[in-house]
Parts: sequence; C-alpha cells; structure tokens
Amino acid sequence: MGEVSRRDFLNSLGVTVGAAVAASAGSVLSPAKAEAQVRGTIPDKPYKIGHMTFFTGAAAVLGEPSYKGHILAAEEINAQGGLLGKRKIETFKADEAAGTDANVKEMRRMKLSEGIDLFTGVISSGNTPALGPVAEELKLLTIFVDGCTDFLFDKAVPNPHYIFRITNMQSADGVTAAVATAMTWPQVRKIAHIHPDYSYGRNAFDHFKISLDKLVPGTKVVYEGWPKLGTTDFTSHITNAIGAKPDLLVSSVWGGDYIAMYKQGLRYDLFKKMKFTSMIAFGVAPHAIGKDHPEGVIGGIHSNYYWNYPPAGKWPLNDIFVKKYYDRWKEYPNFQSEGAYTTLMLLKQSIEKANKLAGGWPDDEAIIAMLEGASISGPAGYLHIRPDIHQGYKDAVTGFSKNDPNYPFQILDPSRMVTIPIRNITAPPGWPKGEPTSTYTWIEKTWPKVTKA
Amino acid sequence: MDTFLIHLLNSLLYASVLFLIAGGLSLIYGVMRIINLAHGNIYAVGAYATAWAVGRLLGGAPVVLLYAILPVGALAAAALGAVLEPTLLRPLYKRAEEYQLLITFGLLLILEDLIRVVWGPYPLSASSLFEAPGSLTIGETIYPTYNLVVIVVGGLAAAALWAFVYKTKFGVILRATSQNMRMASALGVNVNRVYVQAFTLGCFMAGLGGAIIVPQQGAVLGMGPDALILAFVVVVVGGLGSLEGALLGALMVGVVREVGISLFPEIELAVLYLMAAIVLLIRPAGLFGRA
Repeated sequence: MGEVSRRDFLNSLGVTVGAAVAASAGSVLSPAKAEAQVRGTIPDKPYKIGHMTFFTGAAAVLGEPSYKGHILAAEEINAQGGLLGKRKIETFKADEAAGTDANVKEMRRMKLSEGIDLFTGVISSGNTPALGPVAEELKLLTIFVDGCTDFLFDKAVPNPHYIFRITNMQSADGVTAAVATAMTWPQVRKIAHIHPDYSYGRNAFDHFKISLDKLVPGTKVVYEGWPKLGTTDFTSHITNAIGAKPDLLVSSVWGGDYIAMYKQGLRYDLFKKMKFTSMIAFGVAPHAIGKDHPEGVIGGIHSNYYWNYPPAGKWPLNDIFVKKYYDRWKEYPNFQSEGAYTTLMLLKQSIEKANKLAGGWPDDEAIIAMLEGASISGPAGYLHIRPDIHQGYKDAVTGFSKNDPNYPFQILDPSRMVTIPIRNITAPPGWPKGEPTSTYTWIEKTWPKVTKA
Repeated sequence: MDTFLIHLLNSLLYASVLFLIAGGLSLIYGVMRIINLAHGNIYAVGAYATAWAVGRLLGGAPVVLLYAILPVGALAAAALGAVLEPTLLRPLYKRAEEYQLLITFGLLLILEDLIRVVWGPYPLSASSLFEAPGSLTIGETIYPTYNLVVIVVGGLAAAALWAFVYKTKFGVILRATSQNMRMASALGVNVNRVYVQAFTLGCFMAGLGGAIIVPQQGAVLGMGPDALILAFVVVVVGGLGSLEGALLGALMVGVVREVGISLFPEIELAVLYLMAAIVLLIRPAGLFGRA
C-alpha cells in the first residue's frame, strides 16, 4: 500500500478542529415544527417511565445529571399536555447503586408491578449486559442512556428488538483520545497509563493502544496503573508514573476519583512533566472541575458532548437546551444530561411519527419501527440510531482544557474542539463480531500503520 | 534512595489514615464486642464535615483559620458517636450479635443517604489546605508537604492513644472493662459510661482520619464503605480488638499496597487480600489476636 503519512490518514478520517463561530444569532428561535395534528383518539392515562441511574455512591456525579436531563425533558413534554398532547410522563426512579442482581429485579418489578411503558437511564457498563436480555424477555421497550460497553450489542444482545442505546459506544473513547493525541503530540513515544480496574478502564486502554500503534508507530507503554474504581488516593500511582519518565500520561479515571487524582497530580508537578490525555475527565458535572486544573490537556467527555459545543449562536438547539437546563437546575449539563434529554425527545418524535402514519396511540412495535434508523437533531448535533444494532451514533468529540474568566470552573475551549465522524472510528454494519470488540478488530485489520508524519 | 524514601512516605501516608479508621474500629470491638459496620460512614461524616466547613462555610478565609477548623470533622464524628451509642446500640446489648450487625449495617446505609441529602451528590473539596503548604524537594522530584502533616498526625494519634490506654486511669478502666465487663461492673465501674466513652473515642478517631485526609482526596459518596473494607483487612491482619494489631496491620497494608502498585500493577486489587489470606492461614486470629 506504499507510504502512508499521518496527515493524509487523519484527513481521511475527516477529523476537524474547532469550528468558525457564527456571529451572534440574536434571539434564538426554537427550531421545532409547528404542532402536527394528532390523529385519532389518544387515551389520557399517564405514560410511565422507569429511570434507573446512580443516586448514591461515587457514580452519583454522573447519575444526578442524567436524572436532571430526563426530568427537564419530561417537564417540557408535560407542559405541552404530554405525549401526543394527552399522555403525561410519570417517572419512577431507581438507584443503580443497588447492584446488578438487584437492578435486574427492579426492572422486572417496574414492568410487572408498576406497569412501566419505557425503561431508561443506566450508567454502568456492568449493568446494561445484564439488563438488556431481561428487557428483551419482558418485551419492555428500553432506551439506555449510557452503559456504553461494546459488549452489549457485540455479544449480550447481538440482535436487539426492544432495547436501544443513546450515547456513543465505549470504544469511541479510546480511539478518539488516541486520534486527538496523534494530531496534537505526534512526538510522544513513552506512554504511562492509569485506568480504573473494570471493564471501562480496560476498554479505554485497549482501544487507545491499538489506535495509537497505528497512528504513532514506535510508542511503548512504560507504566500501567490499575486503581480500584472509587479510589481517591493516587499518591502511589502518580509517583510510579512519574518515575517511569513518560512523555504522555493517559487516563480514563473519572468522577470524584479524577478530581482527587488531578489535585494530587498538581502537587507533584505531574502535568508539567508530561503531556496528559483523558477519555472522560470533563464528563462530570462541569462545575466539578476547578480553575486549578491544568490547561491545554486533552480533557475527554466520553466522546459525546460538552455543554459549550456546538458553540453559542451556531446550533440553536444547544443554546436552548443549555439555557433551559441552567434555568431549571442552576448548573450546566454534562453528556449524561444531554443523553437523557435526547432520549425522551427521540421517544416523542417516534411516537408522533407513528401516530401520523396509523393514528391513535401507537403500540410498541410501531414505536420500535420508528426508532430503528431514526435520526434526530439534539443539543449535541445529529444523532442516528443504527437499525441493525439499535446503537446511537453521533460524531465523537473531545477538547482541550482552558480557563475562561466568565466561568467559575474550567471549561473546554470551544474553538479547539476535535470532532471525528463516528463512522470512521467504529466497526460498520456487517463487520464480523470480534475480540475484545468488533471495533478493535476493525481498526486492527483496516487502519494502515502510518510511516511518516 | 530518593525513590525508596518516596515509596516509604507513600506507605506511611496510607497507613496513617488507615490506622485512624481501623484503630477506632478495633477499640470499639475490644471494649464493647461490637463490630461497628457503620464505622466507614462515620469516617465519611468526618471528611464531609471538614470539607464543608473548609471549602464552603469558610471558603476564602485565611489558611491559618482553615487549619484551625480542620478537626471539626473529628468532633462531628465524635458527637455522632455519643448520640448513636445510647440510643441505637445500648438497647441491643442483651440480644444476639446478629442484631448488632444488622443495626450497624442499617446505620451504614442510612448515613450514606443522609450524607447525600445534606451535602449533595457532587464531590466536596478542601484542597486549599492541601495546596497551601506547597511541595518539598526530595532528590530530583517533589513531594506534597501536606502528606507529611497527615503522617505526623497519624503518628501522634497512635502515640496519644497508646498513652491514653496504658498511662491513664481511664485507660485502666477501659482495659478492665474490655477484659471482663461483669467483673468491672461488680467493682463499681459504670459500664454504660465506659461504653459511650469508648464508642465516642472510636468515632473520633475515624472522624479525624476523614478530616485530615479530605484536603488531599476530597469527599465523595461511597468513600465510607470502601474505607470500611480496607479497615477490615487491617483488623483481620492485626487481630480484632488489638490497637497494636491495628497499627501493625495498617503499616503492612500501606507497604504491601505500595509494593503492589509499583511491581504488580495489574493485580493491585488482589495483593492486599492475598496478604490477608496468608496471615490468616498462619495465624487465624490475626497477628495480635486473642484466639
């Protein structure tokens, strides 16, 4: 195949940095279409939704924003009279921290005792592979917000019917981080890793490594740290990482753990001694990242969404969403908020389309038919639901940390956001299922190894 | 040599906080024969109270003042202990041990929820105290000065506790009650009072552990149960009810974890439990346990 240059290959991936910010658009208009005529008679009984997320434990920093995004959307829909103007959304919440077995029981209970119409939420990759098959068995319409492991649609439920998922697949995190690193610091050779020791951390490590091996030949891993999820003492991991004298530290540590890690890192001059790439550092509620956070590092957002991108004035849906969310909760949304919000908007759109075609209240089969292959414009951009594996796809993003005097916390620089078309970094339909993930084998077999800058 | 020194300091840092938590757990068990499963969240209350006072209530105040209110977490935890023992635990002493396990476990869960209701789901931080003293240079690398403060407080707490238990009249009564509660009671010791004092002291230690570590690590939901599990590793290794055991156990856990992270990072989680398993195979009651 001859010589492949990194620049050409990155161009072929369609990676873009930043975006010209449009002049202020003045007043923001809601792009929603005028209310379509509802066909047939719609019952006015409530539409019951079970939202399971973390309300306790370390993961509540992600669970709370997810629930807030869901409630915001539900209130918005209810203010218009409910789904199809009639069916008000009633939310039942459940704490995902109860553990996988208890979560499965709770899903059954919600379906059988409460009679929920839709199940949603879920953060942990450990839970979706257990809940997915049960939802199929219960014939329970389910739209997971996260729990983004590739394993769900690779292995656990390869031919889903009732279950869907919104946020980008987990492998996108490692690949996006590697692409951004290769573009920004192609000179790095010695790499240290600190990841939480569970499926997410392992997945981030594998996909970062395979992608970077293709994009920056000659790198080697000089340290691996695998702290337990929930660790807040990183003293030893940091000293060992510094001791290995790497050019770059890569980490998928998140939430309260990450806050502790970066604050400890500062006292060791960690960020002055090496470059830093994270998959999900800025994924927490935005105000949790202090102004003391190092600037100019790659601060990942689970490759999904950061509240200031698309930037103000450029994508009205985001301006409206951020304002509504801020007015309602007095804080800025994170990617889980956006995911949970878009989940309900997607449901609403599918129900309305089905009604338009057949009239009356659509049954689940009709809603599923509308969800498969659906496309919706959300705050983050266009979201596409792949018909074969029911997985949501939107362009992957990551960015660089920066202090802005207008905000009391550190933000990602909207003029430097890295956007990658999602189709270029995930295994396509029809690609054989692989180990550890289909995307891993797809990258391994189809990406060229670059041979020059 | 520098690297060795830093690894040693890291081990001591971890051991200091663990000793405060596990020492309190062991003290309570030694005197009262209660396995206090709520202990982890009493430690978390200490951390949250200090983080709230330093980071929110008086955020921006002069650092000296902030250091002065650091112990507020320990006092909050002690006050909580002084209330919990007479109200929740005392009515159960005559019942089988299972009831105490149930009630302290229930308390662990209730405290977890209360912390969330009072302080919210997002992490609290008291990092201005961690930043203020800066870093020292050791060889060619730097080390956070605050970590030394934690190590010194841990060491002083161990010494003070030893003096308290072995050199004061109260310590004699405490040990007498621990060895034979009925005999102590027959000799005129007010056992109820000793119990509430021991429980309060145990909670104070856990709260102090939370208070001194929170500037370095922040307070997050779920920190209590995690700490409880580690504290159990310490007391199982050292022997339940023994303060010397808690000290030795904490040092062993600190060193083994440090060695594990450096040499066997892939199995960091397993290393501590392997050590506990080996100790238990050789000495089933723990190193200082009374079989």
